[in-house]
Amino acid sequence: MNQFKIHPAIGCARIGNSDEFYLAPEQTGALPIECDEQGREIVDDKGLPVRVSQFKEAGNLGRIKRQAARFRIFVYDENQLDSDRELKIGDKFQFPLDTSTTGPQMVEGTVVDIEWTVHLANKKASWYAFSENDGMHGYGPEHPLRNPQVTQPDRRRQLIIDPGPRTVSGNDAQASFAQNNGNAYPQSFPPPDIQPYSIATLGEMMVNEDSEHHRRLIVLGGYGRSGYKGADGNTIPVISNYANNDGWYDDVSDGPVRAKIKYSYIHRYTDAQGKPVRKKKFSTVDVNAPAWLLVGYPSYAPEIEDMITMDEAIYDLSVRHFAHDPAVYGVAPFDRQSNQPQTAEQWAIWRSDAIYNPDYYPHFFRDIWPIFNRPQNYSFTYDFDPFGGGVPHNRGTGGNLDKAALSQPPKNGHDPNRQHREFIYAIMRKQGQENLYTVPDDLSAQYVSSFHNSASKPRLMPMLNGNNPISNTVTDKFLRMTDTQLFFLKQWKDGKFINECDEWDEGNTACDNPWADPPKSGTAIDRGVLGNVLGGAFCPGAEVGWIMLNPAIYSSAYRIHQAAYIAGGLSIPAPVASKDGSQADDIARGMEPGDLTKYMGLPWQADFHECTDQNINVTYEMWNDIYPGSTGDPVKQNTAYNIPWWPGHRPMVIQKASGGQYYWASGIPDNYAGGVQMVRDWVNLGFIKFEPNDGNPGYYQIERNDQALGPQLQPGQRTLGGEIKGESNNE
Amino acid sequence: MSNRKKLSRYQRVQQILDQSQGPCIPDYQGLGAFWRDLNTFKTAELYGQRLIALEPDQSDHQPGGSGGKSCCGEGGGVVDSLAASESALNQALIPGGSAATVGECWPTGGKNPAKQTASSLAGSSGQTAGQSQQTRSDRSALIKGLRKQFPFDGSQFPPLLWQAENPVSPSDIDFIAAWIDDGCPESDDTQDTTAEGTGTQARFGLAQSGASILALARGDALHAVSAKHCNAISDDVQGLKVRKEVSTLSANELSLLREALACMYTYDPHIFDERSFNYWARIHTDSCQHGWEQFLPWHRLYLYFFEQTLQDYDACITLPYWSWSDYADANRATYNTEQLDMGVLPEAYGCFLDAAGLAALKDSGLFSDSELANLARLQKKGTIYNSGLRFLKAAKIDYTLKLSTGKVMWSDKVNAIYAELRRANPLWFPNRWPGSLGIATHYPTAADVQGILSSNNWNQFGGGPVYDHHFGWLEEMHNGMHNFSGGQNPLFLSAAKAIGVDNPDPQNSFNPNYGYMTDNRVTAFDPIFWAHHSNVDRLWAVWQEIRPGLNPEELDGILPPWPMNVGDTLSTRKLGYEYMRDTYHYPVNDQQGLLRFNAEKAGVKPQVLDTFRKAEIRLHRMHVANLFNAVIRVFLNAPDATVATPVDNNPHYVGQVTTFQGSCYGGPGHCDKPLPKTRRFDQRPLQHHEPRNFRIDATEAVQRMLANGETDISVHLVVMGLDGKPIDDAVFIDGVSLNFID
Repeated sequence: MNQFKIHPAIGCARIGNSDEFYLAPEQTGALPIECDEQGREIVDDKGLPVRVSQFKEAGNLGRIKRQAARFRIFVYDENQLDSDRELKIGDKFQFPLDTSTTGPQMVEGTVVDIEWTVHLANKKASWYAFSENDGMHGYGPEHPLRNPQVTQPDRRRQLIIDPGPRTVSGNDAQASFAQNNGNAYPQSFPPPDIQPYSIATLGEMMVNEDSEHHRRLIVLGGYGRSGYKGADGNTIPVISNYANNDGWYDDVSDGPVRAKIKYSYIHRYTDAQGKPVRKKKFSTVDVNAPAWLLVGYPSYAPEIEDMITMDEAIYDLSVRHFAHDPAVYGVAPFDRQSNQPQTAEQWAIWRSDAIYNPDYYPHFFRDIWPIFNRPQNYSFTYDFDPFGGGVPHNRGTGGNLDKAALSQPPKNGHDPNRQHREFIYAIMRKQGQENLYTVPDDLSAQYVSSFHNSASKPRLMPMLNGNNPISNTVTDKFLRMTDTQLFFLKQWKDGKFINECDEWDEGNTACDNPWADPPKSGTAIDRGVLGNVLGGAFCPGAEVGWIMLNPAIYSSAYRIHQAAYIAGGLSIPAPVASKDGSQADDIARGMEPGDLTKYMGLPWQADFHECTDQNINVTYEMWNDIYPGSTGDPVKQNTAYNIPWWPGHRPMVIQKASGGQYYWASGIPDNYAGGVQMVRDWVNLGFIKFEPNDGNPGYYQIERNDQALGPQLQPGQRTLGGEIKGESNNE
Repeated sequence: MSNRKKLSRYQRVQQILDQSQGPCIPDYQGLGAFWRDLNTFKTAELYGQRLIALEPDQSDHQPGGSGGKSCCGEGGGVVDSLAASESALNQALIPGGSAATVGECWPTGGKNPAKQTASSLAGSSGQTAGQSQQTRSDRSALIKGLRKQFPFDGSQFPPLLWQAENPVSPSDIDFIAAWIDDGCPESDDTQDTTAEGTGTQARFGLAQSGASILALARGDALHAVSAKHCNAISDDVQGLKVRKEVSTLSANELSLLREALACMYTYDPHIFDERSFNYWARIHTDSCQHGWEQFLPWHRLYLYFFEQTLQDYDACITLPYWSWSDYADANRATYNTEQLDMGVLPEAYGCFLDAAGLAALKDSGLFSDSELANLARLQKKGTIYNSGLRFLKAAKIDYTLKLSTGKVMWSDKVNAIYAELRRANPLWFPNRWPGSLGIATHYPTAADVQGILSSNNWNQFGGGPVYDHHFGWLEEMHNGMHNFSGGQNPLFLSAAKAIGVDNPDPQNSFNPNYGYMTDNRVTAFDPIFWAHHSNVDRLWAVWQEIRPGLNPEELDGILPPWPMNVGDTLSTRKLGYEYMRDTYHYPVNDQQGLLRFNAEKAGVKPQVLDTFRKAEIRLHRMHVANLFNAVIRVFLNAPDATVATPVDNNPHYVGQVTTFQGSCYGGPGHCDKPLPKTRRFDQRPLQHHEPRNFRIDATEAVQRMLANGETDISVHLVVMGLDGKPIDDAVFIDGVSLNFID
């Protein structure tokens, strides 16, 4: 029996303030894809997707186009692990027909339509206050709520933006997640007078059909409107925290994407006279694997990959929890047959016995090189130069990350680059080193003997903020690569890796990215889409946060476990729900609309504005905040300066093709008032895009609205009227 | 079993695989068509998978060599390619190239007694019980791969053969399997032996004075300036180590520094070995701080830790500094806008040919008789050149390049000469064309330096904090000298063009467009970097002295990779060194009470007298127990001074110090000098009988001597009791020094 799965398993739309839109990229670090008004992909004469070159409306630098998520249905044969066969209208399959009169029977059906149902919601204002890692595994009853004055269950539910589900079918239908645009569903929307922007919709959806009768769903998110109304009725917007701002709403959202396949079949029966009758009838079948949609804020530098992508984070989780790739992680001999637990008991045994396969050979360009390729790109979004030395991430000859040297596995027992790999591995931050700034002697000594008691202590990499460099509760100062990535790196360090170009690239001498072709199979699309979503650090993160690392939210690898819920009765925090027996949040039931984005900063602009870089106190491993003044403790404090959050997701300093570094968000002040300004001015910021730039290739800014934001300043330049420090002889 | 017998079975196996593979043979991890050589075929592993499995009774004891794991760390032999590419320059500069001996020159605290352990102890852990039931061919990766079995089912590797033209038919697979199961001979293995060697290290011994102790203590004989390394003296008197201006290093001091660097260069193939020079150079590439207030603190620690490494080689070594402004006049006098790379650098960093070098070049057979005659003339003359190009020009040998596997390198002649220049002077660096950037880069004058030292706030002098960052004055001056000393390669384009390279790589190691000093990625590979930055550090120290208490704003900031923060860098004394233009030390016998101290002229170098800012006389380690108090009067160039010599209006008189000592009560020996403080965990404060030091500012007195037409300085002490009469049992000291600080 065939199976039908929606891909991508998790799609990603992005807000914009324009009605125009393009399609989400389906490869890590790829540009989005151009499409027509119905969301049909535009291809070039080689059949490859045409990439977006303008992120804003033509002639209007204050209008950012939205990014649509595209969903498709793929057909799987029995026990097939992956499929590149997309469902077409007119396809014939054996369907299980379950009628009350006949009981289940198999009929040959012809696919005639797809009914898509999507339900988006935004639960941020109804949820608990975000406080770093606190809550990662549940909130205590005393944990503060956002909008804490709203303690009556019905009014608490009113803080959820819930337009209700929408269903579309046919080949050109459309629907909108707008207010008063549904059916009898009990919608809830924010007060109409929130400022500066009211919210009347979370987006829209539409169907299209291409020339080969593939029918696809296109979903668009909101317009990036955020607004405020205080509990006292005041509507002058105020932002005073990076993640929690009472009275605020924004229009990002998430929710389930489901589909029914409608087919026709011939119903044969015998009429009352005993005559055989053939009658054409219709029925539907649910797809076996529904999907989920995330709506995030714009990706301003889509080609600059995050140090850890959401795909890498979920892949790691799936490998370790869902036997997703037993050749990597499982029980010996690591083949598929030995790693197919079915019952809860089998899963428990598998999870306790499974290990990383010591004989696994990661593929250099797929598993290793992305980790080393990314850091140097951040020099196009983050100001390394005055603070960070020469070229620590140089990928060229002689650099720390020299591709030619790092890509060569041992050959014929000769391994000239082993020492270099050992060095790189030694400085990668390992499990348990999340709060360490530099390579510890005892651990590194086993890889590079010269580090032992060395005068110089190389910094652990990546040198990025972790989930909690802020508070003292569950401190997690610095980011580390995932367990699976660290395993790949260990294999690589030991010389156990494959250079795909050497072996499988058809003798292509110019081979430098064997994974460049657009993905064709469902699983590859799942991964490619999430490759453009931030996978860490989560404080709270960009599109979604640490909830994505909780295996309980998944029904299988990459698939969100979908909850059943009643109309207008989406769950609310337990302390309020318990007052009248309302549905309280419960991960075991699955995810409801809005359950993935509710942890994120409110409004998103507040956190986005602030997540540039951070000074981290590294005096003590487990403490971010220390108060030696309160006890007279003369501790020598140590501070690590300017540790960036995610230079691929939130640019800080850009390079101009004509030379010089400039503050990307110049014109928006670096304070809470700037957070309010970001609510308006995110539309005017520039995008960063690869340009060959006459032999000086790199990622350069386009489409910044200088008219709205003023001229861009360089580091060290002062803003108009800014305080001038230090240079006067003011003794 | 097949009976096609025109070919042997093995030949048939080869034929099957050849026909399947077709013309395109992938790398197979360097094995290529592994089936064509029987020995390879029988023993090789493809990504950890043994192509033909061992026979069952072999499985337990795999030959150690088959994995081919290279050892890291100790010993010579393994030269990694990154090191090879990065230190190609240094390798080329070592006579004998990469074949040169590595790792024999550095002192150790004793050889590691442990035997070299295998790199991988893990071995193969995945042997399941069922495996022993399988046939040898079933266990062979080749057969698994041809049959598309795990791990060749795509989950880990694609099926074999890779990039094959045709699949191998099932019957042919069976044929190969049967050939395997019918037996393969034992594999060979080889064993390596490693030679042990011990490093030796010459050190300067301690010399003893043979002059009459009594005559010296009475002033009847002259104390002599010590010929010891200045830092050996520092250790003797338990003082700070001294960083001197490079032109005032003694011949011994200079050659010891060169010897240490030459030793460091030999470790360069091991770039993560802390003894290698490149290890230190790369730290700048990776971690340097520029353009804000951490510039000075970070580089202070950079120099400190590099110097500590040099002191592992020999505890006397300190980094010299390059006092820029002292070279400004000489540079201006010779500056020539028409000719590039004529800028002046300290002679210690220049290049010259020595006799051994000339002999080596003769033996190389690369040079014509007339070229050798020119080289011999240069060797005889002993001229020191500021750049390698200047040397080549003087030798009438063209700067020429060659192409070696697509990369631009020096021609054999240039390479041979440069290797000898570098051996003769490890401080010289070929990618250095001082002054060639033209008028825009030049030395700061003494007035310029005074200008920045006049700054009275940290931001202006040392740069802004992280939230308002900008360059400080000292760093701006430093920037200019980076560019001046690196310069531009005048022949970058023309020499490349001469070998047909029209678009040369500006970052080529042998023929870069700009000198390494101009590029913060590679600047510390040029040995003059360290003298340059010592001068930066010195000017900061000078400014700290004249503007005490002006510090960076954020003292908590840590300075990776150093495990210290900004606050830790504020005192050079805490780090164990001070800067001096030059120092002259007279050892004194500490067992004989001084009546008068007379000394010979110190032999102060003229450039020291030209440039000093401060002159200081130090009395080292005076005994402090059970002694009468006394007055010590200090004179310059007055060998006849006595207690009766007038001090008023006497230009020779420097000043006086008075001792303040007391009685000492205790058991026998209680009043002796305490043991030197050598124990690592001795945290007690200064012992009350610890010999004490005096410092007397002699700046004005020295200037008076010079104004009087003196050209050298001698120091004289007169000891008198509080009653004004000579006293010979009050002052016992270890030494007297005359110090010049600029």
